[in-house]
Amino acid sequence: MLEGLSNVVVKEVRELIRDPKILIGMIIVPLLMFPLMGFAFRTSMQIAVESVRAMSIGVIDQDKGVYAQELFSTLAFSNLTVIRLEATNVDQAAKSVQDSNITAVVVIPEGFSQNITNDLQAKVHVYGVFRGMGLAEASGPSAVVSLVNAFSEFLALRKVGNPAKLNPILTSQESIVKGKVVSVSHSALSSLVLSQYIGLPVAIIVMLILVMQIAATSVASEKEEKTLETILTMPVGRFTILLGKLAGSVVVAAVGALAGVVGFNYYIGSYTAAFAAQPSVDLASVGLAPTLTAYFVLGASFFVALLCALALAIAISSIAEDVRSAQAIVGYFSFILYVPMIFIMYTDIGMLPMALRLVLLAIPFTHPMLAARAAVLGEYTVALMGIVYVSVFTVAVLYVAARIFTTEKILTMRLRLKRGKPRREE
Amino acid sequence: MSFAVKAEGLAKVFGSVRALDGLSFQVKTGEIYGLIGPNGAGKTTALRIVSTLLLPTSGSVRIFDHDVLREASEVRKLISYLPEEAGAYKNLSGYEYLQFMGRFNRDDKRDLKAMVEDAAAISGLGERLRDRVKTYSKGMKRRLLVARALMNKPKLAVLDEPTSGLDVLHSYHVRNLIKQYVEKHGVTVLLSSHNMLEVEYLCDRVALINKGKIVAEGAPAELKARYKASNLEEVFAEVAGLA
Repeated sequence: MLEGLSNVVVKEVRELIRDPKILIGMIIVPLLMFPLMGFAFRTSMQIAVESVRAMSIGVIDQDKGVYAQELFSTLAFSNLTVIRLEATNVDQAAKSVQDSNITAVVVIPEGFSQNITNDLQAKVHVYGVFRGMGLAEASGPSAVVSLVNAFSEFLALRKVGNPAKLNPILTSQESIVKGKVVSVSHSALSSLVLSQYIGLPVAIIVMLILVMQIAATSVASEKEEKTLETILTMPVGRFTILLGKLAGSVVVAAVGALAGVVGFNYYIGSYTAAFAAQPSVDLASVGLAPTLTAYFVLGASFFVALLCALALAIAISSIAEDVRSAQAIVGYFSFILYVPMIFIMYTDIGMLPMALRLVLLAIPFTHPMLAARAAVLGEYTVALMGIVYVSVFTVAVLYVAARIFTTEKILTMRLRLKRGKPRREE
Repeated sequence: MSFAVKAEGLAKVFGSVRALDGLSFQVKTGEIYGLIGPNGAGKTTALRIVSTLLLPTSGSVRIFDHDVLREASEVRKLISYLPEEAGAYKNLSGYEYLQFMGRFNRDDKRDLKAMVEDAAAISGLGERLRDRVKTYSKGMKRRLLVARALMNKPKLAVLDEPTSGLDVLHSYHVRNLIKQYVEKHGVTVLLSSHNMLEVEYLCDRVALINKGKIVAEGAPAELKARYKASNLEEVFAEVAGLA
């Protein structure tokens, strides 16, 4: 029944291991891509851990009583740097705190010590400073809350004779956003962070890869279908043909960018709606709901990134032998997209070592991901600088593609990913 | 005497392969000139240089006195090139393909319409021109492409193996089509073929190429007489030293 099976298997294995596309795919993925992604994870995690260790907390002591002093000592006893703030209330402190490296502000209200002495529940307010610096940020304020709770349990143990006071301190959690106090817990804001740093980069990458795969066929399919030679001898400039191809793809990219912004709007909208359940929160007023300018900047950033991806794909397409080769090469390129994604998801790119930061910034696709964060935080300069860089990069890629297109290289360059000498021209 | 093509000392090197090795020939205005030879002789390379697709390593080509290197865009206005393995955009209909290609040559809508109608007649594809190219047989596609190459009445048509891969009937149709069109419109044709019988029927003069060089040149009858051969195949075997 299975006669001839071994014959087919042997042929299959031989064919597969001789196909450089598969060979490169098998080498690049395990040997290069996974270690690189692992490196990105490890580095961003290390930086996150270090940032928690090096965390500073600001304390506003409105109570000045004995238990307030004890709580202050407990916080200072941990690895955290605890700074006594001069401001008398959190609103006063919010602005200067936002610009400092303080991750959380602990406010010990008046009557704190008296309440504990009288076996009444005392309150402590913890304000997490929201900076939108990635997933690691959320660990800061929660560490402070844990310390306050530990202190609370310690007090409960001391007062064990009084069973009604097992919870002497009630911690309230709020946030500082853009120098203003917002009554949303830092952990709730972190889920917004989560949505941005996981959802959006992934969405951007999926879109870029999709568009690149489509554009990669543009010139390669003309080669494969044998229509390129004919069109190259028509009385029309080579650069015109290239621009025509790009412009055609731009129409697709524009629709893609629009879909990206609309999708992002929906995404943010769903989070805004979730917060709207808390009556005192208006995300738009604290600047966490993107403004019209933010959408415009974000749209522009997406668009130039898509344009760049298209130009790159068309350039690759020009030197590839056929559609399959073009798409395979574009596929290898796509892994460089994942590396910035991981870094941006977990850390603030500004905290990375300079060399690594430069490498990431040199990758044009890092910029739309950064722009998404910048647009939410209203940091338009960062987004605009990215747009300028990606535009310049795109022009450079187009220049190279045009050079290939205007010479005979368009016909003689044959990246086939196949071993052996180039085919002899008849 | 005016010349449509003047090629002098053409050489083309691809890596370690010398595809053309000092090729010189002249095509008179209004004649059908054939480059013939076996696979790998250098015919396609020569035609690609004439059509501004490749640059010669050395030597020069002038088309109606325009240099293919320095005046490539002028040359492209005068020529029409049909590659050996040409294709057409498979998702366009035959008509749409002719219109798309025609727009590069004619801006005026009325001229374009007349040209496309002319091409439709040349192709003989009739109503099938409304169908998408991907539904065409190889022969139909070739007829469409030959019609495209001739429809703008180029001053020089460069046809690489015009009947490549066609069966007897399609070949017969395409050959007659070229011959009639040239007689009617005075188009000059430079073609290549390894089908010696086809060349004998079509060409006023031929050049026999082997290993990138011309080994014999003249009218088919004259060559047969010179080498006392009954057809061009025998002439080729004689001059290439195969006999």
